[in-house]
Amino acid sequence: MSPSDDETPRLPEIPAIEAELRRLGDALDVPSPPPADVAAAVRARIEREAATPARRRPLITKPRLAAGLAILIAVLIGATPQGRAAVTSILRFAGVEINVSSSPSPTPSSVIRSLPGEGPVTLDQARQVLPIVVPATLGPPTQVRMADGGRVVSLFWPGLRLDEYDGRLDIVFRKDLGPPWPEQVSVPMGWWLDRPHSITYIPSGGRREIPLGVAGPTLIWQQGRLGLRLEGAKDLTEALGIARSVK
Amino acid sequence: MNDEEAVARALDGDLDAFDVLVARYSAVAHRTAAFLGAGDEAEDVVQEAFVKAYRHLRTFRQDAAFKPWLLRIVSNETHNLTRSRGRRAQLTARLGQLAEPYAPDDPEGTALAGDRDARLIAAVRDLPDREREAVVCRYFLQLSEAETAEVLGWRLGTVKSRTFRGLARLRDALAADRVEGGAP
Repeated sequence: MSPSDDETPRLPEIPAIEAELRRLGDALDVPSPPPADVAAAVRARIEREAATPARRRPLITKPRLAAGLAILIAVLIGATPQGRAAVTSILRFAGVEINVSSSPSPTPSSVIRSLPGEGPVTLDQARQVLPIVVPATLGPPTQVRMADGGRVVSLFWPGLRLDEYDGRLDIVFRKDLGPPWPEQVSVPMGWWLDRPHSITYIPSGGRREIPLGVAGPTLIWQQGRLGLRLEGAKDLTEALGIARSVK
Repeated sequence: MNDEEAVARALDGDLDAFDVLVARYSAVAHRTAAFLGAGDEAEDVVQEAFVKAYRHLRTFRQDAAFKPWLLRIVSNETHNLTRSRGRRAQLTARLGQLAEPYAPDDPEGTALAGDRDARLIAAVRDLPDREREAVVCRYFLQLSEAETAEVLGWRLGTVKSRTFRGLARLRDALAADRVEGGAP
């Protein structure tokens, strides 16, 4: 049984072990989602990516700002957390932290990772965890995915993604981008990020952050306890139309 | 629609054609990711691999086979994942789960087969990484030597030698078990 014995002749037991391994391989069942679900999830991601770089700076119609309402929004500006000296301002709203920096972190690779523990569920299953809402203009989602033990539910339509989570408790996503500031919108109250930006998932309980790659233009708003993040709308008008149709 | 046609149509922007490829290779992609150590994250790895495959479809040589080209991406994604995490723990968990695939209504037979299989799985798990990858591709995934070379990015001779060393090590491990266990 010398360990470095490269000239060992092919011993008679080897073919038996090969056969046994093949049989064992056949017997080992690897659970995997239905192929059609995988195809739908992959397609949603491909379409979402396709939507991101193609529309870099859409024409923005200036939102009518309701200045009076703006002060109701929980905004924290001017903080500079340690270790992120380049960050000039931070806004926390509806479970999302937006870092606007004069020198934003380099654009990450376009790798888009899933949220932890993400998998397909039905709308009914998702509603047992969060009071999920569906925009009437979009109709039933083509896919519903739940992640991180029900902390985030994501609804998909071709080219569009709507993340829903508890927007009152803690920060769920962080977004890093350069100036200028995102635009504030009033109905619903929220923020419009008009350009691609890097997005990071912030797990609860101080677990390690998960970079998710680059997100396209995104509308963030809050409805009741829900924080909502809509990504993939081609401009603010479309995003607001979808947001206002939420039931 | 065969693979070649599906790839050609996907390159023309036909996402339905790419759906066909995803559905066709979803199961083997999940097996590959799981056996190479992606553990519970096999589903993420596979999605990521398909998205990358689509993005890099233009680099695919259309006279080549789609399956090993795809599985190479799955393998790379799995390596990226295991490099950044505790790889052993993941694989151990995975193979641990796999060691109990038997229905409990045949106590005698299953116990014996389960025991033998459990020992074989444990021996595979304990192989050095490269040898384990070779054995997994050749036997669990039943890829040819040439396919294994493409999927793992090795030369053909390397596949042969690592596979053989892995098999020899498995034989020794099982022989040692037999002596210790005192089976007839």
